[in-house]
Amino acid sequence: MAMGTFPFQWPMDPAASTGLDGSFLPSLLPPPPAGSDDSVAYYGAPQMHAASLPELAAPFPPAATDLAMRRAEEEVAGIRLVHLLMSSAGAIEAGDHALASAQLADANASLAALSTASGIGRVAVHFTDALSRRLFMSPTTTSAPQPPGTDAAFLYHHFYEACPYLKFAHFTANQAILEAFHGCDAVHVVDFSIMQGLQWPALIQALALRPGGPPFLRITGIGPPSPPGRDDLRDVGLRLADLARSVRVRFSFRGVAANTLDEVQPWMLQVAPGEAVAVNSVLQLHRLLADPDDHHYHAPIDAVLDCVASLHPKIFAVVEQEADHNKPGFLDRFTEALFYYSAVFDSLDASGTGSPMAEAYLQREICDIVCNDGAARAERHEPLSRWRDRLARAGLSAVPLGPSALRQARMLVGLSSGEGHSVEEADGCLTLGWHGRPLFSASAWQAFPAVDGAEEHPHNSNTSNVSGSSGGGDGGDSNNSAGSSNGGKTSHTHSSGVVGAGNMFW
Amino acid sequence: MMQFTHAAVTAPPLHPNGAHGLGLGLFLDVGAPRARPWPAGGFASTPPPLPTSSKISLGNLNSAGCMEQLLVHCANAIEANDATLTQQILWVLNNIAPADGDSNQRLTAAFLCALVTRASRTGACKAVTAAVAAAVESAALHVHRFTAVDLASFVDLTPWHRFGYMAANAAILDAVEGFPVVHVVDLSTTHCMQIPTLIDMLASRAEGPPILRLTVADVASCSSAPPPVLDMSYEELGAKLVNFARSRNVSMDFRVVPTSPADAFSSLVDQLRVQQLVLDGTEALVFNCHMLMHTVPDETAGSVSLAQSVSLRTMLLKSLRALEPALVVVAEEDADFTAGDVVGRLRAAFNFMWIPYDAVDTFLPKGSEQRRWYEAEVGWKVENVLAQEGVDRVERQEDRTRWGQRMRGAGFRPVAFGEEAAGEVRTMLNEHAAGWGMKREDDDLMLTWKGHNVVFASAWAPS
Repeated sequence: MAMGTFPFQWPMDPAASTGLDGSFLPSLLPPPPAGSDDSVAYYGAPQMHAASLPELAAPFPPAATDLAMRRAEEEVAGIRLVHLLMSSAGAIEAGDHALASAQLADANASLAALSTASGIGRVAVHFTDALSRRLFMSPTTTSAPQPPGTDAAFLYHHFYEACPYLKFAHFTANQAILEAFHGCDAVHVVDFSIMQGLQWPALIQALALRPGGPPFLRITGIGPPSPPGRDDLRDVGLRLADLARSVRVRFSFRGVAANTLDEVQPWMLQVAPGEAVAVNSVLQLHRLLADPDDHHYHAPIDAVLDCVASLHPKIFAVVEQEADHNKPGFLDRFTEALFYYSAVFDSLDASGTGSPMAEAYLQREICDIVCNDGAARAERHEPLSRWRDRLARAGLSAVPLGPSALRQARMLVGLSSGEGHSVEEADGCLTLGWHGRPLFSASAWQAFPAVDGAEEHPHNSNTSNVSGSSGGGDGGDSNNSAGSSNGGKTSHTHSSGVVGAGNMFW
Repeated sequence: MMQFTHAAVTAPPLHPNGAHGLGLGLFLDVGAPRARPWPAGGFASTPPPLPTSSKISLGNLNSAGCMEQLLVHCANAIEANDATLTQQILWVLNNIAPADGDSNQRLTAAFLCALVTRASRTGACKAVTAAVAAAVESAALHVHRFTAVDLASFVDLTPWHRFGYMAANAAILDAVEGFPVVHVVDLSTTHCMQIPTLIDMLASRAEGPPILRLTVADVASCSSAPPPVLDMSYEELGAKLVNFARSRNVSMDFRVVPTSPADAFSSLVDQLRVQQLVLDGTEALVFNCHMLMHTVPDETAGSVSLAQSVSLRTMLLKSLRALEPALVVVAEEDADFTAGDVVGRLRAAFNFMWIPYDAVDTFLPKGSEQRRWYEAEVGWKVENVLAQEGVDRVERQEDRTRWGQRMRGAGFRPVAFGEEAAGEVRTMLNEHAAGWGMKREDDDLMLTWKGHNVVFASAWAPS
């Protein structure tokens, strides 16, 4: 007896996946059965992917029966829990606070019957928690609790290590960048979120050993301002510079501290003439979106994309979550997120070593999606199909990720995570998914210079402000530069990268 | 609020969780350029001084050394189950060593494949998914099945095997002078390709041809039989040889004995023991060991005979000695792949296997089918050395010195090669590219490529 389209029945067959546009309408779940029934058939609940369960119909030894019964009970409890969570979310959308609370209380009770160590329980506990926060806490305190002694970078690192998603993002983007830089002697990478610079050592190493020798490499790392007494951007820059020095790549690093990407103006990036520019955005663009229904608020995304286009990047590598968590309706958004994060948690589970920190990283995203609204919500994931439209409207042209990128991605993902993950290619973009459900997508873009030539930008440069910055290619006395001099590439004449394409400043 | 980072003061400590450097440990300390052992095309033979502000690209100088270093880093990362670092290095290597690049790149690509195969079998890099298999084709998939005709012309492309054949045949001819019956036991990876020439030489003997008995060790059914692979049954092969011998007025009988290096060819040895019981002194027994002896487990293989606490390799040599042969010829690659750690074997293999990749440019055009077969064979060997363990790892080469010690220890004394034999070998080498050469080392002959040792031939008689 099939249980209908249960959200956690991930299809094993990639052809049965939900498709890249991420549209999903939850079907109304049938009410859970009164008790476990011998004729209930098993299907792939998340914690049972690897196990092959005996059919209840066949006779088997008593011990196995107990185990099977317990599993059946857990599954039933899981279904019930999901049902309750979705009902609660529906009640919130309808404005019925009381009903939502009641459903949530029942959900909490169901949680008690479930193992929260794995499977449905593990992800549901976060959604239950998030709903509680939304219902009962004041808006200013709805951000996810932070485990003591951790910060965003720490959690990011654990998420990076525990599953293949960020690694996939990095080496796929790096492949596109490395290929785009072929034959260029001066190259400049603009990283929208430098974090600890994990993406760059491999690229630096590959550039160091490329036939014909390495180019002069500049990296501009954008990141949040550091608390007083720290200069995180400088620290990352130093480490990258050390690495570049050790492999004999002429290198310079520049940090740009900004709270949001729309604070960054093209002139701050100091693109030099003749430089090949790569812009790298891993999970950053979605933060610039707004509520699709909010027509009064002008989302920063368009300005930022215009800024990118104005740099005429040889390559703009974009990696985003493949989900629609920007739906205006709360229940829709909630349900979509439940599907999405259960797949991600499922894959964390399957990778063997549990990682509570990686979960904490994801929990923050879940909390943001469930609890925050309006300007407070940053995790506005949208599917690739919508990104393609946006980027095309901004004047960017798609660059297919080549066969090397696909081959590398498959090999490297396959090596680290065993069964379950797969990399698919469609229309020149790669998606990494779990059991057929796409979770992250990577694409690459470029913008060509305007045919009618560059316009001088009025806001140029007072480069003196900027030269206080370190590492900038501003001269051989910078400690960040590797070994040999910058070879005179410091002519950061102002208007270099800032061309036409309308008024960037607003 | 805009801030820009300021000039560096001191480097901060690494992030507490960045023990392995979070990939920033992926530094390749190029350091002072290492002198490469080979003056291969495009490299400076002495390392140049480090450029300061010049625009000389450092890319190709020392790239082989860099590739070896990266491969070593990768092997270490795999052994340490560091999936992240392994992936990062593999990504870099995939980009700098395309499988269709220059000889160093193709060499590195083969090592890369072998490491990926190894990684997919161990620790953090678990399941061999279909995706991995598709992305990195195992060398074993490409090993060609040769017809006898193709194999004959294939082994003649290069002196790698011809050298051993010529030296061995000359020594055999000398040793069996005066014997009316000659029994050759062929322990070879190349499926009797040496034999037609030997038959010819025996046929032209001044005293007339002997009766020739040929016993061939058939290891094809073993799990890791080394290439080349013959696409013909030994029965058929034997029939062709017998016919050929007849056409030269040599009466010949042919016998095939399935046997396995994993038990030191015990089935073959047992059969020979039985035969030797009925000898009357008119038969010369000769063992022709061509590249197959290194497949018998040595002390590092861990498989030690229970009866005596010696390795199977030592046991084999003692068994051969006990059969009182007139001659044992050994032709083997002069390299040591017996290190217990994969990094040690990687270095040894990288510093030997560059030779076939370097040499192939001289005799096989890029893209040719034969080149693919040739490189597939080399790839098989590399994969076997790096990715296999236990009985499946058969590429357990030892160098000339070590084999010499073993032979002496088993009760043999060396038999020097005559000037005539050496001269014939030199003449043969003139048919091949200029890089091939030959030298004497003690009583042995050594094939060289650009001055580096490749294959040695040695001859032994009971002491």
